[in-house]
Amino acid sequence: MKEPLRYLGVNGEADPALLAQLSAAADKLTGAVTPRYIWRAFSLAFGPEGPALEGAGLALPGALAAKMLSECAQAVLLVCTLGAGFEALLRAEQARGMARAALLDACGSAWVEAGCDEAEAEVSARFPGLYRTDRFSPGYGDLPLALQKDVCALLDAPRRLGVQVTDSLLLNPSKTVTAVIGLSDRPQPARVRGCGFCNLRENCQYRKGGKTCGA
Amino acid sequence: MELDFLHNGLVILDGAMGTVLQQRGLPPGDKPELLNFTNPDLLRSIYREYIGAGSQILCANTFGASAPKLAGTGYTVDQVVSAAVAIAREAAAGTDTKVSLDMGPLGELLEPLGTLSFERAYGYFKEIALAGERAGADLVSIETMTDLYEAKAALLAVKENISLPVLVTMSFEQSGRTFTGCTIPSMARTLEGLGADAVGLNCSLGPDLLAPLLRELCENTRLPVVAKPNAGLPDPATGKYGMGPEEFVAALLPCLEAGVTIFGGCCGTSPDYIRALAAALRGKTPPPRTYRSTGFVCSAMTPCFLGGVRVIGERINPTGKKRLQQALLENDLDYVLDLAVQQEDAGADILDVNVGHPGVDEVSMLPQVVKKIQSAVPLPLQLDSTNPEALEAALRVYNGKAAVNSVNGERAVLDRILPIVKKYGASVVGLCLDENGIPPTAEGRVAIARRILDAALGYGIPAEDVWIDCLTLTVSAQQEQGLETLKAVRMVREELGLQTVLGVSNISFGLPNRAAVTRSFLTQALAAGLTLPILNPNQREMMDAVAAFKVLSGEDAGCRAYIARFAGAASAQAAPKASALTLEEAVARGLEGDAGRLAKEALRTQDGLSLVENRLIPALDKVGADYEAGRAFLPQLLSAAQAAQAVFESVKTAIAESGGAPVKKGKFVIATVKGDIHDIGKNIVRTVMENYGYEAVDLGRDVPPEVILDTVKAQNIRLVGLSALMTTTLPAMEATIKLLHTLEEPPVIWVGGAVVTPDFAARMGADHYARDARQSVDIARRVLGS
Repeated sequence: MKEPLRYLGVNGEADPALLAQLSAAADKLTGAVTPRYIWRAFSLAFGPEGPALEGAGLALPGALAAKMLSECAQAVLLVCTLGAGFEALLRAEQARGMARAALLDACGSAWVEAGCDEAEAEVSARFPGLYRTDRFSPGYGDLPLALQKDVCALLDAPRRLGVQVTDSLLLNPSKTVTAVIGLSDRPQPARVRGCGFCNLRENCQYRKGGKTCGA
Repeated sequence: MELDFLHNGLVILDGAMGTVLQQRGLPPGDKPELLNFTNPDLLRSIYREYIGAGSQILCANTFGASAPKLAGTGYTVDQVVSAAVAIAREAAAGTDTKVSLDMGPLGELLEPLGTLSFERAYGYFKEIALAGERAGADLVSIETMTDLYEAKAALLAVKENISLPVLVTMSFEQSGRTFTGCTIPSMARTLEGLGADAVGLNCSLGPDLLAPLLRELCENTRLPVVAKPNAGLPDPATGKYGMGPEEFVAALLPCLEAGVTIFGGCCGTSPDYIRALAAALRGKTPPPRTYRSTGFVCSAMTPCFLGGVRVIGERINPTGKKRLQQALLENDLDYVLDLAVQQEDAGADILDVNVGHPGVDEVSMLPQVVKKIQSAVPLPLQLDSTNPEALEAALRVYNGKAAVNSVNGERAVLDRILPIVKKYGASVVGLCLDENGIPPTAEGRVAIARRILDAALGYGIPAEDVWIDCLTLTVSAQQEQGLETLKAVRMVREELGLQTVLGVSNISFGLPNRAAVTRSFLTQALAAGLTLPILNPNQREMMDAVAAFKVLSGEDAGCRAYIARFAGAASAQAAPKASALTLEEAVARGLEGDAGRLAKEALRTQDGLSLVENRLIPALDKVGADYEAGRAFLPQLLSAAQAAQAVFESVKTAIAESGGAPVKKGKFVIATVKGDIHDIGKNIVRTVMENYGYEAVDLGRDVPPEVILDTVKAQNIRLVGLSALMTTTLPAMEATIKLLHTLEEPPVIWVGGAVVTPDFAARMGADHYARDARQSVDIARRVLGS
């Protein structure tokens, strides 16, 4: 409940009626939609353009990827989505009222992140003894947004998850996350902190008000 | 090509092309279709391996040969298709092997999820189909579809433009649904109705996980069934598919027992898999199939098997409903959607959709309404019109298997409507009347029902798709007809075994306490064998009667649905009456029902305009101020807006009933700019502004600048709101502003959205920046007045 509230810009005490509505939206969502994900591990090669995925011919340009992956021999690409089912639910809720839709939308953002966490747990189980970096996404820092297309194509996301990347680099269905996670034999520090790495940075109520959520 | 080929014995298809090419060096992500020009020898050699392994049908390398996917490659659809079919033909020369045109998804999502319209999708598929027939393909395989709507567009494009047999396979997840939520019965029965020659499943899963889905598919179609599984699931650490040929074949063989007769392989398979498959199937014969013959309608997401009682909601019909008439005349489809949602929430199984009203063009309105409803409501629809063009236009864009309401016993009507019903695989309601009117006796009506059934069978429409309406007459005018109708229902059930439809509420017309008579008639009709009552599901007592009947008939096993329906009812009734609540409080607390009711009461003593100005707007302002101060949050702002909507609805209804002009404060255009497809933020702004009384012209999402310009010009709009979500679409926002500034008197433009800042807004030349819905209202007040 804490995450969706943060997405709605509620800090401090939320009133019980709002909490009850939010909890109903969360129940409806989790009963109807399960996050689905695919991931794949690649060996990393370090060339003049920075780290690149071996066998895929894909470089991850920019300072962020270079720093995040500096101690990693492998990287995992991840795509996680709530799929078209969420979109259908959201359209139906919009027909029932925008308040319910806004609550569902916030729950959806939290639910797809929960899916990413589950995928990360699976990665972790598959590579015991390796340490994971924070997950980071195209559009964070200087990692180009244009990588959305490459990541989705490499993982065959259109066919395997029904995810499309539009010409303007939007992911459709809307509650979809692509991410990179480095795998290292050394413990990895938390590097991803602050607004620049938050996937809400563009919609954030706090940020628009000149504040931060502190997370 | 002889269709017998698909029906007699077992057929072996080929295996994967894409993953085999990757094994032989094609980098992942490259387009395999270009190999038709760069390396035809490689393709030919793979095809020869498949023929040697036992493939009887080869899929030409045209899976991605659609105009959207070929964009930027420098090749046309025709070039790719003719080269690809020729390569497969050359490989097959001197053998009996057939060549299939392969059609995959377009790579753009269809509406409502994406922005590709059904009509444009149809156009793309038509281009491929025509090229395939010209190139000499023997048949067509539509493959890997996850959206039933896209599969329908492809199938219609093939059936209407070329004369080759066509196989349609879709990709399902283990849950038994596709990514877009399509179910197996919906897929099987919709595609069979549309004239596919075989249906099946391909890709997504290995044969072990696909087997139960294939069993369900075989129960839901009379057509030959195709299975093309993957070689298991890919290992995320390596990308390799998990199953070897032996394991693949062992897991696939049980599908033969389930009724599958056409076998092949998808991702991860190779000629080795097909060889093992051919060896295992040699000498085997398919067992007899068991088809579940049943009345059925569906949307993609909701299959509705008939049997027992299914309620058809009657509310979307403008006859006698002024508010709906006004909505249809003003193209206010949101109001129609609202009626659909209410009936869904009240428990309707199927919705009747009728838009016939003077001044409404049914041929364009009926398909528009169908698209609107199916974008948000997953119930199957019954399309209600006597206009064949309107029916065909609506059946075309309907995503699923619909019902048509109606035909009657008149030969000319049957010959006009039934071919359309057959073409789109719909069910049809037959009214027991003809050119001589309604027969007064049950026997006379059953005779017409029999005639309708025979005509339908003559057009190839199966009996289970024929529903008979024995017609309800008004007892206050023709008292003996109540019993006659009940008798006719019983006879149609017993003698013809058909589904029966009745609009029940007509029975009580002109009587006091109508509900008592209607409810009693409904119960008797259900007992006589009525299976599809048409009624107002928002009338709780009618739905209660249906729920009670299902208990007594045994349909509601263990009385579970009945108990669930009334669980919590006692506590709800015990809730204290909010008699002291004011309209202002109801709005502030977002109590929609109370706000609407209190508005109705207030309208007895106050006119609509003053109610809005003096009570509603101040109440909304108070919530708005709390929101700005951080004392209320977005959901509360929106709840208040919805409660305000209920007040407006009461005002509109009062005005429509008195025949006055609607209250409108001033119009604004709102749109999400070209390239942006997510629109919840824009919808939030629109909702709040509308509930201050401003009239929205919502152009939707992904809107080209020219459309906005044209609308502003045509409707003389003074205020335009633009929303953008991504940095990649800010240029489209700027282009739209530039274009609007070419007008002699440009409208006031305000912008907002995730990535927009006051700084950007000023640089792009916008007049205002709004952080949220609340600030947008302030801008509207300044520009349009309050």
